[in-house]
Amino acid sequence: MNNKKVLNFIGARKILFAIPIAIVAITIIFNCIFGVQMAIEFKGGTMLTYSYTGEIDTNAVKSVVEGENYGAVTVTTGSAMNGSMETVEVSFSSSEGLTADKQTALSDKLKESFKDNNLDLVNSQDVNPTSGTEFFLKCLVAVVFSFILLVIYIAFRFKKIGGLSAGVFALVALVHDCFMVYAVFVFCRFPIDANFMAVVLTVLGNSINNTIVVYDRIRENRNLYGNSLSLRELVNMSITQSITRSVNTTLTTAFAVLTICIVCAICGVTSIMTFAIPMMIGLICGTYSSLCISGPLWVLWREFYDKNHKDSNFNSRKDDKKDGKNLASTAVADKKKLMV
Amino acid sequence: MHWHRNGVKHLKRVAKPVFFIVLVVILAFTGIVFFGVHTQYGDFTTTVIRGVGDIRWGIDIRGGVDVTFTSPSDYDATDAEVDAAKSIVETRLVANNITDYEVYVDYGNDKIIVRFPWQAEDESFDPEEAVKELGATALLTFREGSEKSLEDGQTYEDLPLILTGSDVESATAVYRQKDNSKEYEYMVSLKLKDSGKDKFAEVTERLSSETPKGYISTYMDDNCISVATANEKISGGEATISGSFTADEAKELADQINGGALPFKLETSSFNTISPTLGTGARDAMALAGVIAFAIIAVFMIVLYRLPGFVAVIGLIGQVAGTFFAITGFFSFSSSFTLTIPGIAGIILAVGMGVDANVITGERIKEEINSGKTIDTAIATGYKRAFSAVFDGNITMIIVAIILMGAFGTPDSLASTILKPVFFMFGASTEGTIYSFGYTLMVGVILNFLFGILSTRLMTMSLSRFKIFRNPVLYGGKSAKKRAAENAAVTEGGAVK
Repeated sequence: MNNKKVLNFIGARKILFAIPIAIVAITIIFNCIFGVQMAIEFKGGTMLTYSYTGEIDTNAVKSVVEGENYGAVTVTTGSAMNGSMETVEVSFSSSEGLTADKQTALSDKLKESFKDNNLDLVNSQDVNPTSGTEFFLKCLVAVVFSFILLVIYIAFRFKKIGGLSAGVFALVALVHDCFMVYAVFVFCRFPIDANFMAVVLTVLGNSINNTIVVYDRIRENRNLYGNSLSLRELVNMSITQSITRSVNTTLTTAFAVLTICIVCAICGVTSIMTFAIPMMIGLICGTYSSLCISGPLWVLWREFYDKNHKDSNFNSRKDDKKDGKNLASTAVADKKKLMV
Repeated sequence: MHWHRNGVKHLKRVAKPVFFIVLVVILAFTGIVFFGVHTQYGDFTTTVIRGVGDIRWGIDIRGGVDVTFTSPSDYDATDAEVDAAKSIVETRLVANNITDYEVYVDYGNDKIIVRFPWQAEDESFDPEEAVKELGATALLTFREGSEKSLEDGQTYEDLPLILTGSDVESATAVYRQKDNSKEYEYMVSLKLKDSGKDKFAEVTERLSSETPKGYISTYMDDNCISVATANEKISGGEATISGSFTADEAKELADQINGGALPFKLETSSFNTISPTLGTGARDAMALAGVIAFAIIAVFMIVLYRLPGFVAVIGLIGQVAGTFFAITGFFSFSSSFTLTIPGIAGIILAVGMGVDANVITGERIKEEINSGKTIDTAIATGYKRAFSAVFDGNITMIIVAIILMGAFGTPDSLASTILKPVFFMFGASTEGTIYSFGYTLMVGVILNFLFGILSTRLMTMSLSRFKIFRNPVLYGGKSAKKRAAENAAVTEGGAVK
């Protein structure tokens, strides 16, 4: 346990913090230039996807749909699935919604106009703009509410090591990971849809778990060593001890997700890609943030706080002494063990 | 079990056969969950216990229809009316042979959310037609006169009303001889309630005595489906609607009348169809991907943690089987759960948590062994020390799962009721796919306590009693020889902190 070299995470904080800050900056610039697509389920509107054969003139499709007075129409082509099917996507914002009747009418009209292309409806999505916004807000409220409860839980379970601040910095790691998932969607040009929410939630759960494993080690080492170690030494040691576990777990899980990615790609199920790729990257980021962001940041905060609040620092020492009494013997025993 | 913090005071021993008992139980359970139990009698297969093949896949995987109906914006429906509309929609679904549907209501916004999968056995399944039928008001009316007697600017509503669908007791499709002819045709026979019987008798008597004889028109909403001449007084409480129907049309009309009219007009506020071409391949690919991914996890675990890793794989098999158990509903009579793509994400995350619990424990056992503890002590302390991290991690996961189930679950579920104050400003359940994530995650994490922690501890402790499994190398530790050499080096170089 102790013959492993303790890595100095807090000393290397400048590099560790610079990497994610750079990624965030690049993502924001990229986002501003290229924008991000919101899926129909969030922004509302209508999207009809047809499969077709041969060559199709998107402008002609556009003018046919525009003839029906649906407002601004966008037509794009793409190939879906195992490449065996070419698709054309027609999207427009229909404020009064698309009824089954209207959909049939439009489909018939398109099929009639492009007889040679054998149009066939593959997918249709119509979401009322208000219910789309409501769904998006509900997701946000759910995520924010989870954040609050998780901070409270950590504050409670880790009160021995200054729970509330630990909870807040765990939250910084969570926000970092959610942003990284967003970055993947921005760079890969995936639309923000229900899969995005599922990935964010998965990564959120994974990240909080990673951070807790590190905190748990800090809590345990604090019990073992009391105040014999400085906060920096304590946290550096705890993070170092957690590395093997974090790397092993992440490798195992990320490889499993990568396998799903590859197998589905080979089988032609590309719809799973917008889900599996961000998830894999999110899992890796979650490990990074719990090792390199939340712990070091928390140490900086504690040092800053203690400098400005001498009194509370004193108090916390007194608390430690109280705890220390019954732990002193175990700490000594453990040190002996370590020296063997 | 009670441990002293460091030295283990009371080591409760686990008997040798325990490993085999746990193994057999897990494998038998897994076998049943994956393959199900079916009895074959002739061509009929009865499902006693559902297997993985009987999983109900969400429409994002196998294709289907997701439609939300609302009341017209100027109409505020009462809860009772929304309920009535819901049950009518359900009746119509069944009448269309769609039995595996999901219908949710949101009283606050007068919304009815209907989801049903693509009807695989029906080649000509037309989702647009199906949705149109579901949303049809289906107000049946009998009126005096015919469209021909209308003057300009008048609508069918200006024809005097005789009866409505609510005066009808029951409707059946019949194949009967036409009046005054030898031809047979399909028609709908109506049995009238007492409320309608007298009224109908009175009107038919009056119209049949007129010269020329009066007409009776039958309307379904604003659609005239038949016009008949009133030939005689009908007092028996039976009326027929004929309109050169085919057998299917007659049956459909009878079903619609039996289903009853909607208390208000249903407008489509969102309407999604997903073709099964996006789904069918996905399901098989996903199953294959799952099996390969699991195999990779198994290899990783065994290579990294050896004996505890092997035991962990058995525990993970049990955990996955348990999750499918909760999804299929297991017994053919219990309700099953719809598995969507986010639901699969939940399973992945829960399996990840299971892997993590075992990795943490495996690492701890390795550490303890390398710090010179005996195998028994190392295993006991390893599990004990790993528990707090695993516990906290899993509890946070349960918190997230409950919030999701509350936010996106059906309005009457427990989680939704508890979280009502948080999501009060939002309408109920609009996204069942995310609910599925919460559900599989929740189940997986709870099972993680059972399989990832309890069963693996029992199995590891039981195996460690066998002599051949008492080599520290099997637990990722260094061999006794190597450690002795290292210790010698450490003592020479002084204690290392």
